[in-house]
Amino acid sequence: MSLLHLYLQDFRLFVAARFDPDPVGTTVITGPNGTGKTTLLEAVAYLGTQRSFRGAPREAMIRAGGERAVIRAELVRDGLPLLVEAELAAVGKSRAQVNRQAVRTRRDLADAVPVTIFSPEDLGIVQGGPARRRDLLDDALRMLDPKAGAVLDEVERVLRQRAALLRQAGGHLRPDVASTLEVWDDRLADAGGALAEARQNLTEDLEPRVVESYRILAGAGPAVSSVADATSVGVTYRRGWDGPLAVALSAARADDLRRAVSTVGPHRDDLDLELGGRDARVQASQGEQRCLALALRLAVHRLATERLGAAPILLLDDVFSELDPDRSRALVHELPPGQTLLTTAVPLPDGVSVATVFDVRSITGGQQNPRPL
Amino acid sequence: MYTPPLRALIDELGRLPGIGPKSAQRIAFHLLKVPIEDALRLSDAIVSVKERTTLCARCFNVAEGGELCDVCADDRREATTLCVVEDPRDIVAVERTQQFRGRYHALQGALNPLEGIGPEQLRIKELLVRIEEEGITEVILCTNPNLEGEATAMYLARLLNPFGVTVTRIASGLPVGGDLEYADELTLGRALEGRRLVEP
Repeated sequence: MSLLHLYLQDFRLFVAARFDPDPVGTTVITGPNGTGKTTLLEAVAYLGTQRSFRGAPREAMIRAGGERAVIRAELVRDGLPLLVEAELAAVGKSRAQVNRQAVRTRRDLADAVPVTIFSPEDLGIVQGGPARRRDLLDDALRMLDPKAGAVLDEVERVLRQRAALLRQAGGHLRPDVASTLEVWDDRLADAGGALAEARQNLTEDLEPRVVESYRILAGAGPAVSSVADATSVGVTYRRGWDGPLAVALSAARADDLRRAVSTVGPHRDDLDLELGGRDARVQASQGEQRCLALALRLAVHRLATERLGAAPILLLDDVFSELDPDRSRALVHELPPGQTLLTTAVPLPDGVSVATVFDVRSITGGQQNPRPL
Repeated sequence: MYTPPLRALIDELGRLPGIGPKSAQRIAFHLLKVPIEDALRLSDAIVSVKERTTLCARCFNVAEGGELCDVCADDRREATTLCVVEDPRDIVAVERTQQFRGRYHALQGALNPLEGIGPEQLRIKELLVRIEEEGITEVILCTNPNLEGEATAMYLARLLNPFGVTVTRIASGLPVGGDLEYADELTLGRALEGRRLVEP
């Protein structure tokens, strides 16, 4: 998987622009703030995910005054050319095509342009609430396991139905409520148990890769903290229940009815992160947390590379912020094989050698006109 | 912009399923152009379907004038096999197969707490009465293969268990005449799960 050319039209600040990254190695995108570095990554990521990794609504990605934005990418996959195009409309439907064929599902795009994204907001994976960590796992599951997407959708829908039923019950277990609740609990026990199982297996696959990635990043510099074994990383999936989910659900029923929420299930689970035996969420430094977040993303990336047989395009946004020069060097030198696009607002640390450095100011303003869809 | 009657027509049409504001406007302007007889025929058809179509007292299929539906009135149908569907339009779909010779029971929906549909809103009590009164021996659960349909099927299976009737669920799988490569992963996965031994 390799991105050869990226064409943008009316995408954020780009009127019309063309970007040719290094097709096999690392391209470092430089330039002052607000010149469009992250926007280039956002455009590539949009092709694979159909959303902005900055959480921006679609309209925000269309240049002010423009009616629609176009992203067009020429890639090579298994030696064959691949043309992926997306059109973002301010009003009406947004479209996407792969090799001039309309795309039916999001999954088709994810298969065409697999991406791994790391951005400064990913600090929230370590610092933030459990939902961020569940999302990390769930996004990886969707990418790696075609069945997982359906299970995730089912769990979400069952939870919504169950919540509606609990609200209607008003705290009382009438016979009709009890009999239907049993049915939804059965569905939740099946799908939720399968989801927890899948997340657990994924976590076990990820852990050695997180350890490896973290060792590369954090082991590079002086001792990371005063604790002797500071670089020992622990990644554990933690279910909020023991034994079969069906049993836990029936045990929690009275509580669920009283509070009118589902108190047990995969939507309450968490991914425990430890550094040197301490809870990384509250006891690690911000630099350590950022390293760990990056290590988690890189672990998913490495696993995806093995499972999919080709490396997704690795997008690292503003990755040197809060990394000291030693760790920045370690990161660049130990990047997994495959195409990587990396943005930085600060100069490259000393001793970092990268084949391709691209100043985004050379295309802001633009010279080429991509053809519309 | 519109005259009040035209506005009212567009609003009414826009409330129909599958018709958005643009389509509603197009249909309304089309009706403005057609001869008055055509418009009257349409309005008569709507009024008469409302006046004369009722639900079958036995199975809740569509029927005419308070009578039993065609299927229930037909003595040649097997009286001991019951196919449970969500809606009368599902009966039309099953009938088109010409594979089923029993009778039906239309629940009038599926369990869906989000839309306020529980067992009380469905024709489930009537189904249980029929099992005993009509000497039913097999019930085919033919609800939709989505979450709500599956939940309804599971709910009914539990309710029917004490009656000692055979309860079956329709299979899910691939469309006939289709290509495997075009099947979505989920359907193909279900089809693999439900594979059968091939008799040589």
